Order: sequence, then structure tokens, then C-alpha cells
Amino acid sequence: MGEHLLSWLTFAPTAGALLLLVARVLLAAREEAIRRLALAVSLVPLGLCGSMLVKFDPAASGPQLVERAPWIRFFGFNVDYFVGVDGVSLWLVVLSALLVPVSILISWRAIERHVLEFHVFLLLLETGVIGVFVALDMFLFFIFWEVMLVPMYFLIGIWGYERRIYAAVKFIIYTMVGSALMLAAIISLYYLNGGTTFDILAITENVRAGRLVWDAQTERWLFWGFALAFLIKVPLFPFHTWLPDAHVEAPTAGSVILAGILLKMGGYGLLRFNLPLFPRATEEFAGVLGALAVISIIYGALVSLVQPDLKKLIAYSSVSHMGFVVLGIMARTEMGMQGAIFQMLSHGIATSALFMIAGILSERRHTRLIAEFGGLAHPMPVFSALFGILALASAALPTLSGFVGEFLVLVGTYTSELAQGRVYTVLAATAMILSAAYMLWTLERVLFGEITREENRQLPDVNARERLALVPMAALVILMGVLPNPILRRTDHAVLELQRAASRTILVQRAHPAPPDRGRLAPPGAEVLERR
Amino acid sequence: MEWLGISYRAIGPELVLAVTGVLVMLLEAFSPGKKRRDGILAAAGTILAGVVALTLWDEGPRLAFSRMIIVDGFRVFFTLVILLGTLLTIFISWTFLDEERIPPGEYFALLLFGAVGMTLLVASNDLVMVFLALETITIATYVLAGYRREDLRSMESALKYFILGAFSSAFLVYGIALVYGATRTTNLAEMARLVSGSLGRAEVVLLMAGVAMLLIGFGFKVATVPFHVWTPDVYEGAPTPVTAFLSTAPKAAGFAAFLRVFSLTFAPLGIESVADQLAAHWVAVVTAMSILSMTFGNFIAIAQTNIKRMLAYSSIAHAGYVLIGVLARDWAAVAFYLLVYTIMNLGCFAIVALWARRGDERVLIVDYAGLGFRQPMLSFPLAIFLVSLAGFPGTAGFIAKFWLFKSAWGAGFPELVLIGVLNTVVSVYYYLYVVIVMFFREPREEVARVPLSRAFVATLVVTVVGVFYLGLLPTRVFAILNAAQSLLAVGMR
Repeated sequence: MGEHLLSWLTFAPTAGALLLLVARVLLAAREEAIRRLALAVSLVPLGLCGSMLVKFDPAASGPQLVERAPWIRFFGFNVDYFVGVDGVSLWLVVLSALLVPVSILISWRAIERHVLEFHVFLLLLETGVIGVFVALDMFLFFIFWEVMLVPMYFLIGIWGYERRIYAAVKFIIYTMVGSALMLAAIISLYYLNGGTTFDILAITENVRAGRLVWDAQTERWLFWGFALAFLIKVPLFPFHTWLPDAHVEAPTAGSVILAGILLKMGGYGLLRFNLPLFPRATEEFAGVLGALAVISIIYGALVSLVQPDLKKLIAYSSVSHMGFVVLGIMARTEMGMQGAIFQMLSHGIATSALFMIAGILSERRHTRLIAEFGGLAHPMPVFSALFGILALASAALPTLSGFVGEFLVLVGTYTSELAQGRVYTVLAATAMILSAAYMLWTLERVLFGEITREENRQLPDVNARERLALVPMAALVILMGVLPNPILRRTDHAVLELQRAASRTILVQRAHPAPPDRGRLAPPGAEVLERR
Repeated sequence: MEWLGISYRAIGPELVLAVTGVLVMLLEAFSPGKKRRDGILAAAGTILAGVVALTLWDEGPRLAFSRMIIVDGFRVFFTLVILLGTLLTIFISWTFLDEERIPPGEYFALLLFGAVGMTLLVASNDLVMVFLALETITIATYVLAGYRREDLRSMESALKYFILGAFSSAFLVYGIALVYGATRTTNLAEMARLVSGSLGRAEVVLLMAGVAMLLIGFGFKVATVPFHVWTPDVYEGAPTPVTAFLSTAPKAAGFAAFLRVFSLTFAPLGIESVADQLAAHWVAVVTAMSILSMTFGNFIAIAQTNIKRMLAYSSIAHAGYVLIGVLARDWAAVAFYLLVYTIMNLGCFAIVALWARRGDERVLIVDYAGLGFRQPMLSFPLAIFLVSLAGFPGTAGFIAKFWLFKSAWGAGFPELVLIGVLNTVVSVYYYLYVVIVMFFREPREEVARVPLSRAFVATLVVTVVGVFYLGLLPTRVFAILNAAQSLLAVGMR
């Protein structure tokens, strides 16, 4: 197992899904047994993550725990099964492995129809998302990127709320538009690099060393081919409209995975592809994307302020918080990118947990309208405490996780070379006040004051199973807020490399402008320039 | 290249199919109505033909029968694709024959005679042979399309197919005549040699006109826009197993011939030759046909309420994708695409045929409501085939599309790739619409589960395994195609 840790991590959920099917077909396992088995299976990748963290060397550069084997050959298909983790992907893998068992716990009573299929799709989804984060071959990456759409589509479409079909279709069409363009960009990148490999690292290395150069227009096309797919996923304003629908209509587990993991794939893609591969185009468009990020931050917060529906409020707050991620990435400073990664993790935990909170309420009262609640602190004290911690973490209260991420992003942006970096910082910081406002106001309306509805008087507090899901999340947001270093220490090296690669390539390419013909392999002289 | 004279080995697969067909018919005449016997015999004949085709594999590029028949790796590969399609169609028809009380002997015999035409078509090295083979196919399939004699839709289908088929054959034969007039040969290898040089002005004009006619003829046969109008009506009206057959095997054969005539014979050479003059035109026209087929096929498919019509428009769209491969002149990519399309489309139609029941009662997409969890043995495979048709990674449909797009990009058609990938997004909408109806909607009325025959289960196993095998581990099939490419007739590469 030591040799193939990442493969085990990626495919253990698939094996688990098959195990569930076998249990149903051969042993006629009942629903309760299926739930328990699914939970047990989902703990395996989490355990393997522990082993991965132990083996991960924070000081080493490049990907670790690498596995590589030829996969598809002939006719220019030089596709490798090539996986590995580095500082950028490490924690996102852990996050994925963490959120699936939590989703299973939180869905225990909420999912009553087609229990087997629900857990099979959830586990397949886990393979897809972990695969996206560990894949180091563009072809493999694309396969995982798309494969995970199908189970998500089913999760929303089968177990969602009233307008689930509309939401599922919107989700898949939006994502497909982005990924179709990314596919074209991948094919074109493959040919520009000489038509021999889909290896992301090799292509990045060629770009960094100045061996692979292309003219500015080609770079713009390629940049947007990738960026659009990722920005739709993040989602950045104005590509965000699928998100509120998908979140509101998805079952709780679906929202948890969407907010916790799927959105992160966008930020991860920007870091993995756009920054190192297209430094000049990134520099050119960083201002625009930074501005869109600031608009997302403010717009998401303003819309959250007026949402009557608790789930929709959290969905729009996601748009706002993910804006920080894009802003931090586009700042391209160490602090900014560190902050972006940290913000992804913090948002992944706090917002998913808030969706679980909303799920618990709607399970008990069959409504998500904030106005239906009020004074819940009395009948549900534990629930209220957890809700309070998580909401404040999301609103970036110091000592909680959200603060670390957003603070790093703000400092990173302020000190960056972005033309309007300081303006962006000021505007984004204003939005932090807004986010405190809507979160605190929501807490007030839901938890405090008089009990306005008779039904709410008898609401049961969170039970042991719900606590098992929520308490670790609350503990994590506190832990991450107080002790961010264990996380930052492991991402630091990768971030510094990214930053160096980006700035050095720009220097090389400025000294040695690309010839007018479309991408080609540069003569060996280009490398000399770089060393000088 | 070695010439064989009259060599029965060179047409071995066709002989086996034809003999089996005659045998099935004779048996039907003397002791009618034995479906099991006739079906097993037909299937055995198809498999035997496949084995015989495989023995031709190492024969290398050879010509036989006055250079009318060609033996090369691609002929063998396409023959196997066609035989796979035929075999699966025999299985699919199992339940249908009982329900419709159709005499099984003639039906299987006609399928086999159709297959003879198709395998001959992929083996043709001469325009006359192309025409003969096409006519053999169409005569068998006209009858098959109208097999439910008492059903008006089926009769309409057969009549439309016949009239438009005859019309397109006329174009084809006229084109052949003009090309012959210009080059004084109908042999493709000879023609390729001639057009690589220069011809007189009058000959070039004649050749242009002839090639245009050929293009129209082939455009009809493989159902590309704007020559597609017959497809939805014929596919809707024909008995579903026949539709499955029509949409796969003849299409593979038609594209093989299309490739031989256009991508090989009239291929641009990059010099000042007649072929380049021709290519300047046909490449532009085929590009337009490809774009139109993809776009029209996909957009019109969205509006369909009948699943057979939807799959008909989807097949038009797929023909558009395949034309991208024809333009990129990548034989192997086209052959792989057609193999994959045959598998996933036949799998799809197997389920549609079973669910439709007697007299095509349930062919509307709304009839699939609630099928999802009621009969997972039908709904999950159908979802897999649809997802594969839409080109999701992990399935064969993705690898096939990716290859076509990759070749096209490398061959200098990036705009076709962009239009192609955007079209796949459109197609996702209607393919997944069926999934929505199956899984996300409740059934309109209580429907009984459909009993599954053993032949049907075998079809499902073969197609589902095929979709995943070619989607996840295609290397072995790629290696075979790679070998076939090196066996492609010298001078025709």
C-alpha cells in the first residue's frame, strides 16, 4: 500500500461503491447496513490521508508520492497514469476525504429513498474529486474533472428539492461549456508542446525554461480556454448563476460536496494551470480578474444580506468568500496565494458545515425560510453554539479560520504588483464588514429573541450523530484559526515555487520575446538567456 | 502490390455470409418458423465470417478480381465492425420477432445479405464495385425497413427510404459515369495515380462535376446535412432492431467507402496536381457538411419527443463528427469512432427496442418516466450508453471524440474542433434529458417490468463492457489499428 498510496486513496471509494452493490445483491443488505457500510468505507480514504500527511515532506519541491505508469499509447496518445501531491493539492485531498464521511453522517435520516444508489454516487463522486487533485497528466485530469459531474448530476436530480431538475441541468450545462473549451485548449497545448505528452509538469517545465514559447495572442486564447472552465467552477461573477440554484435544490450532502470540494477545483485549476503556464496572460488579465473577484465579494455579500432563504444566503456567501480565493491567486504574492489556499480550506469546512446546519433545520421544520425561525437558542442550545461558531468563522472573526485566509489575501493583494491592488484591498475589506453584518443578523433572527412559531418550541436539539458530524467541523475552524501554521507550512514551498516560476518566466520572455510564428520549441540558446 | 486473380479467399467473409443467408432461407422454406435454429445459424455464420476475415489480416495489401477487391488491414477492421453490428442486431431482434410474429428465416437472411453488401463495400477498390455493394445493401435494407407490413409508419419508412435511396443511387451512378469519362477508369488506385498528375481542362471540369455527384450520393448514404431529410422518418418508422442496424453497420461501411474515395483517392498532395484542385473544393464542401450535420443534428434532436427520432438526429450529428475525421484523413480515428458508435448505439437501441414492445407502443421519451429504479437492468445501461454518446470521459465515446478532435487540430482544422466541442455540450442536454425522465420523474402509470431474454442480456453485457473497455483501456485496440495502418495498401496511405 505504501507504494501506491495515492491510487488507493483515489480508488478506495470506487471499490467501496462496488462493495455496497455486492452487499445489496449478494447479501440483500438492508438500508441501515448500507449506511453503516458506506460510512466505514468512506473512513478508509480519510485514514489514508493521515498516512499521506505523515509521508509528505514540506521542504521538498515538486510532487510527492508520485506514481506513474503508461496508460494509453499509439496515435499520439501518450497518456500516463500519473499522480502525485504537492503543497497546492495536499490539503484539498484531505478536505475531500473529510467531507464525504461527514456527508454520509448528515444524510442518515434525510435520505430515505434509494439509499444504496445515493451512497454509491457519493463514493464515485469522491473518486472523481480526489482524482482531480492528484492527477498530473492533463488527459487524466480532464477525465476526473468530467467524471465527477455525472454523480453530482444524479445527486441533485434524484434527491434534491422541488426545482431539482432545472438546477441539475443548469449545473451540468454551465460546467460543460467551460470544460469543452478547456478540452480544446488541452489539445492545442499538446500540439504546441510538440505532440508528445500530456504531462502537466513537463509542459510547465518547458514553459518555465523558455523552451516552449508562443505569441501573445495564442497565450490569451489558451489562458481563457482554461480560465473560463475554472472561473465557472469557482464561481466568479458573472458566471455564478448556476451556483445558487444548484445549492438550494441539492440535498444537504450535495451542497456540502459542492461548496466544500467542487468549488475548490476552480481555484486549484487556476493555480495548477493558468499561473505557471500562461504567466504573461495572467499578468495581462490579473487586473480584470481581480476586479471581478472584488465584484463577486461585494455582490455576494450584498445579495446575502437580503436573502430570506437560509440555504440561498449561504450559497451567495459562498460567491463572496470564493471571490477572495480568486483575488488572492491573481495577486500572485506569497501571502496572497497562501491566503487563497487557506481560504479554500476554511470555506470548505465552514460553509459545508453551515449547509449541514441549514439541512438540520429544514429536516426538522421542512422550511428553509429564516423568518420561520427565531429563538432557537432556547430549545436547541448545542445547535446554536455550533451555528454561532461556524457562522462567525465564515464571517472571518479573528481566531477563527476564515480570518486567517481573508487576512492573508488582503495583505497579499495590498503588497502585490496589481495596478489597483490597494483599491481592491480596501473594497474587499469593506465587504468583510458586510459579511459580518449578514451573518450576525442571520444568527440573531434564527437563534435569538422570542420564539415566534409554536412549532419551534419543541424542536429537538442535535442528536449524537449530528454532533459527530458537526463538532469536528467546529473544532477544525477554531484550530485552523488559532494554529494555521501546520497547514501553511506544507503549502509554503509549492506557493513559493509557483511565484518564482511565474515571475522568472516573465523575465525570460521579456528578454527573449517570442517569434511571430505560433508556438514552437525554442532553440537551445533560450536556456542560456535564462541562466544569465 | 501483389495482385491475386480470382481468389475466393479474398472474398471469404462475404462468401460465408452469403452461403449462410441462402441456407437460412432454404431452411425457412422447408421447415418454417424455427426462430431459434435460424437465429443461431445466422449468428454462427456471422461469427465464422469474422474468423475468416481475421485470416486475411496478415495477407498484407493485395488486390483481387481484376483489382476490384482489396485486402488490407482496414478492410478487415471495418469488416469486423460490420459483423459485430450484424451479430448484435440478430440478438436484439430475438424478442421483437416473437412479438411481431414475423417469419424469422427471411428476416435473418435479409440481415445477412445486407451484411454481404456492407463487407463488399469496405473491400471495394473500384467505383463499379462500390455501386454494386451499395445496391446490395439498400435492397436488403428497403425490405427490412418495411418489415411490419400492416403498420403505416413502417410502410412510409420503407417507401421514403426506397425513393430517396434510388434518387441518391442515381446521383452516385451519374457521378461514376462522369468520373469515368474524365479518367477512363473506375479503378480507385488507377484513378489516384492519374489525378496525382495533370489532366486536360475538359477532363478536369468533368471530373469536378463527377466528384460533386459522388459527394451528394455518399452524403445521402451516410445521412449528413443537407442530405439527411429521410433519416428521421425512416428511423422512426422502421422496426426498432432494423433502425439499430441501419444506424450502425451500413453507416460504418458507407464511411469506409467515403474514406477510400475521398481521403485516399482524391487526397490533396500539396503539389500542383488535379487531386489538389479537386481537394480545394471537396474539403470546403465536406467542412460545410460536417458543421451543418453536427449543428443541425444536435439542435433538432433537442426538440424531439420520440426517442427513435431523437436518436436519428443524434446519428446525423455523429455523422458530422465522423466527417471531421474524414477531413483530417485519419483512417484509424474514423474506424475507431465507428466501432465505438456501433457498440454504444446498438446498446441504446437494444433497450429502446425492448421497451418499445409490440407495434412500437412506447417510443416517446415520456414513456421512460420512472424506468430508473423500476428496472435498473434497463435504465442504468441506457444511461451509460447515452452518457457515452454525449462523450463523457471514462466511456468509449470520449476517447473516440477526443481522437477525432485531436487529429483535426493536428491536421489544421481548429475551427472544426471548436464547433465540435461546443456541439457536444448541446448534445449533453438531450441525452441527459432521457436520464432526467428515467430517474427524476415518476411514471405516468403503473407499468409492468419487461422480461429480459438471454440474447438481450448477452447484448447488454457485450455493449456495456465494450463501452467501458474502449473508454478506459483502449491501448490494445489502438495497437490493432496501428498494425492495420501499416498494412494499409501501399500508395494509398
